[in-house]
Amino acid sequence: MTPFLASLLAAERARQRRRLVRAALFAALVAAASVLLLGLSGWFITAAAAAGAGGPIVARAFNYMLPSATIRLLAIVRTGARYGERLASHDAALGALARIRPALFRAIAAAPVTRALSFATGEATARMVQDVDTIETRFVRLSAPWSAVAALGSGVGLTLLGGGAAALATALCLGLLLVAAGLLARRLEAPGRAVQRATGALKEEFAALAEAMAELRCFGLEGWAADRIETRSRALADAQRAQARAHGWFELLHALALGIAATAALLLSAQAGAAIAALAALAAAMTVDGAAPLLRSLAQRGSLREAEARLEALLDTALPAERRATPMSDAPTIELLHPLSCHLAPGMRVALVGPSGIGKTTLVETLLGLREARPGQIRLDGVDVATLPAETLRRCFAWLPQDAMLLSGTVRDNLLLSRPDADDTALWHALHDAVLDERVRALPQGLDSWIGENGARLSGGERRRLALARAYLAEAPWLLLDEPTEGLDRATEDHVINRMTSRLAATGQGLLLVSHRPRPTATCERLLRLDLARGPTAQPGVAA
Amino acid sequence: MTGRMNAIATNKEMAQARRRYLKAAVADGGRTRQSTALLLLDSIAAIGFAGGLAGAVVALPSGVAAMLPYAALAALSGGVRGLFAMLSARMGAEGAHQAKLRLRHRIVDAALHRAVGGTGTSGTLMSAVVDEVDAIDGHVARFLPARQAAALAPLIVLAATAFASPVAAGILAATLLPFILALALAGGAAADESRRQFIALARLSGLFADRLRALPIVLAFRAEEREAQALGTAADELARRTIRVLRMAFLSSGALEFFAALSVALVAVYAGFNLLGLLPFPVPERLSLGQAFFVLALAPEFYGPMRRLAAAYHDRQAAETAAERLSAIEAARAPAAPPTPALSERLPGIRFEHVTIRYPGEDRAALSDVSLDVAPGKIVALIGPSGSGKSSLLHLLLGLAPLSGGRVRIGDMDLGELGSIAPFAAWAGQAPLIIAGTIRDNLLLARPDASPQEIAEAVRAAGLGPLLLKRRCGIDSPIDARGGGLSGGERRRIALARALLKPAPFLLLDEPTAHLDAASEADLIATITHACAGRTTLIATHSARLAAIADIVVRLGEAE
Repeated sequence: MTPFLASLLAAERARQRRRLVRAALFAALVAAASVLLLGLSGWFITAAAAAGAGGPIVARAFNYMLPSATIRLLAIVRTGARYGERLASHDAALGALARIRPALFRAIAAAPVTRALSFATGEATARMVQDVDTIETRFVRLSAPWSAVAALGSGVGLTLLGGGAAALATALCLGLLLVAAGLLARRLEAPGRAVQRATGALKEEFAALAEAMAELRCFGLEGWAADRIETRSRALADAQRAQARAHGWFELLHALALGIAATAALLLSAQAGAAIAALAALAAAMTVDGAAPLLRSLAQRGSLREAEARLEALLDTALPAERRATPMSDAPTIELLHPLSCHLAPGMRVALVGPSGIGKTTLVETLLGLREARPGQIRLDGVDVATLPAETLRRCFAWLPQDAMLLSGTVRDNLLLSRPDADDTALWHALHDAVLDERVRALPQGLDSWIGENGARLSGGERRRLALARAYLAEAPWLLLDEPTEGLDRATEDHVINRMTSRLAATGQGLLLVSHRPRPTATCERLLRLDLARGPTAQPGVAA
Repeated sequence: MTGRMNAIATNKEMAQARRRYLKAAVADGGRTRQSTALLLLDSIAAIGFAGGLAGAVVALPSGVAAMLPYAALAALSGGVRGLFAMLSARMGAEGAHQAKLRLRHRIVDAALHRAVGGTGTSGTLMSAVVDEVDAIDGHVARFLPARQAAALAPLIVLAATAFASPVAAGILAATLLPFILALALAGGAAADESRRQFIALARLSGLFADRLRALPIVLAFRAEEREAQALGTAADELARRTIRVLRMAFLSSGALEFFAALSVALVAVYAGFNLLGLLPFPVPERLSLGQAFFVLALAPEFYGPMRRLAAAYHDRQAAETAAERLSAIEAARAPAAPPTPALSERLPGIRFEHVTIRYPGEDRAALSDVSLDVAPGKIVALIGPSGSGKSSLLHLLLGLAPLSGGRVRIGDMDLGELGSIAPFAAWAGQAPLIIAGTIRDNLLLARPDASPQEIAEAVRAAGLGPLLLKRRCGIDSPIDARGGGLSGGERRRIALARALLKPAPFLLLDEPTAHLDAASEADLIATITHACAGRTTLIATHSARLAAIADIVVRLGEAE
């Protein structure tokens, strides 16, 4: 097992040790108190009956104070201990939660970049969140084995009063129950996986169809779409039912073991007298009952292991090779060697054009270290990009991605992403240069307005301009703008480009621009054309 | 103060609305009743178990042989209990199976017929259709049977207890009142708190998911460490708040436990003292060992059903949280459209008169006061920045966007009369629907009864020829659901071919050339020009070159 997740969980267990130990102690106390409570009650009643039958004198000689007080004490202890156990185990789980997610996030961010970015798709993200939720709940269940151990200990202790056979039978019942439950848990793994798969299939089907509402309407396909989704829905529901049925076996096993343990203890301790036999029977029943939390966690074991294995597999990657940090100048030159061949001096404005799918965006992402560079493809200040640490590369570029890519949060959250120490003046300045200041000022909470999931409350053009303002703020020597004016009307586009030109003139930043539109490319000094048929060519552009 | 009172009142109303919705959503064909019946049988078997144990203890002095029948009864009852519990779980799962299928059917129907806007993104719709429908599982499978059983099973146990010892039954009944109060507390204030907690946890998961989604940009701006810390801070804060809430919630469930344990202890002590004849007060009964033991063994069963109910409370909360979102989606379903009347003309025009579109919950109108006359058979290009309402205008015609002001005439009919022009329109957009299957399957979606000649004609007109030549099986080549191997241009052409297959007087094109390079765009524009012939066409586009084929170009969003 690769150690990352395992060691992360181990570290959290160590950190939460005190709470977990407390939870385990309380769980053990609950189980032991339950066994003692019922066992003692059984003994008390039966012994009291015998004493009562012996007449008033025998009855008065019977020490009833101690057992009856103990019974009440045990009832209170059990309640208090259960409260303590719940609180401690949830405390541990919540504490772990606050550390596991940041740790996972760091691990993903540090993974080789292609691997890291494979998490950034909707389905992978949803799956991952689910898995993390699953492994966090395990912290609540860590006390379950201790409850079973304490039940076993106190149960065997009490039934021993009725003889070794009774104690052995009780222990055997509990042991067999756990073995059977373990086997059953293994059989539950397949239905669990089936549920996961069916869930994914249903989500995919629905997402694809919901995106195509207009087509569904026009071609009268709503019923057809509903049928397709229904098929997936049925597959999911069937898988879940199969899983629930398998769970039902746990109930049967538990009740069976409980009944047999009580009866066996009673019969096997008959020679020790009615009072002890009563004690043994009830204690044996509660011993098996004390395994209930462990059974529950066994029933979950399959999905827990699945989740752990999946996360471990995702994180199971050698860390990227250590690369020597190379000092870069404040304004590095870019040399593109393949497929283009050209030399871009600091402060230059360059447009990258060519048919869609030719690899313009790929080139931009390679510069940012978001794709592995091939050796000999690009040089930065004369150093091959493939040998540079991503950190060094990213320091050189401020990026506007093609799909804007905003955080769910406020306008400010999004801007501060690129420069956390920027003050409001800098923020407004960047917004102004991106022609978004008036719009943000009109928002009810200005910079602190919530823009929704991925900026859903903004229009497409506004999202793009917010992403542009974010790139401006970063103060890197090169701006990488991927389609900055797509979705803008001509007047706004003019505005954006004019302000961009004067901003660039003031900051002296270089610009590498990808666009299909003539207006932005016209401001560039140089036009780089990526073209499959004619091969890459570089040609002077029209300076604005 | 009044504000707060109002808030409480609305909260209460909302809670009631949630419950009503949930009740209607899960109403099922008696599965709950069967599941409940099995739980009641479980309680009856518990009586057998207690009776068997008591009988065996009483028979003990007469030897093991005399104990055996009672021991057998106890063991058998134990096994039968397990059987009933398992069957009840199965029955519950069966009920949940049915309820989920029915509910999901309704939600999918509502999602597919939703009036656009207000009801959320396709992402939230997806989680409603899948995860939130699943959230009612535990409610149907566990909570409902547990609630019904909790009302009856204690009475059965109480009756059996009273048969052996009326006073012990009285003790149990007396502890019931504080127990129910504690249960109400656990289910009332604490439940509300933990529901909020439930939402907060979901939001935290959402934050984690969001930062994973935006990972490229987080990496590009070297913000990974800051975002990791922010995640930690948010989780820490939540942990602190949660543990406060849990303290309360566990306290109320602790109260449940306490009364359960206390009543067992009281019964034990009472029975003991009764047997000893040392009770400090007179009682009208003298217990035998058998009666006393029976009562003691049965006492925990009295609270069992109610504890099961308390344990299922979480299921109910999950379901109620889901119910809120699900009912909102169902409420946003467009009313069932009356059968669309036939058009009065073969090729009508479209006239927009002072049309305003405002999506529910939005401050700004997506489109305001637009007037436009599209003569029959003409092409109109709608241009303007994103968010200027081009797509909304097309969606309006399909009943996917609300008409908030003005009116729309289709020939000499009103759009309101028709509801939608969908039956008379063909559509091609920038992200066409591609299904797993052959290219032919994808085309036939538009008209399943199209003849091979008609398909061939549409393929030719849409310029799909080169694509089919590239593929080994031509039009019967398989494509996967993601449209793997198809370029952006090829997907648009499939959509166009589909649109051409439908002999509709209206053609609606939404950004049919977006994100294509100049050469592919020019090719596609030629195809589109052909496709528009003989139809009244509306094209929403950013492309000046595509707009150039139109008879009229309308610029939206610049009047303001």
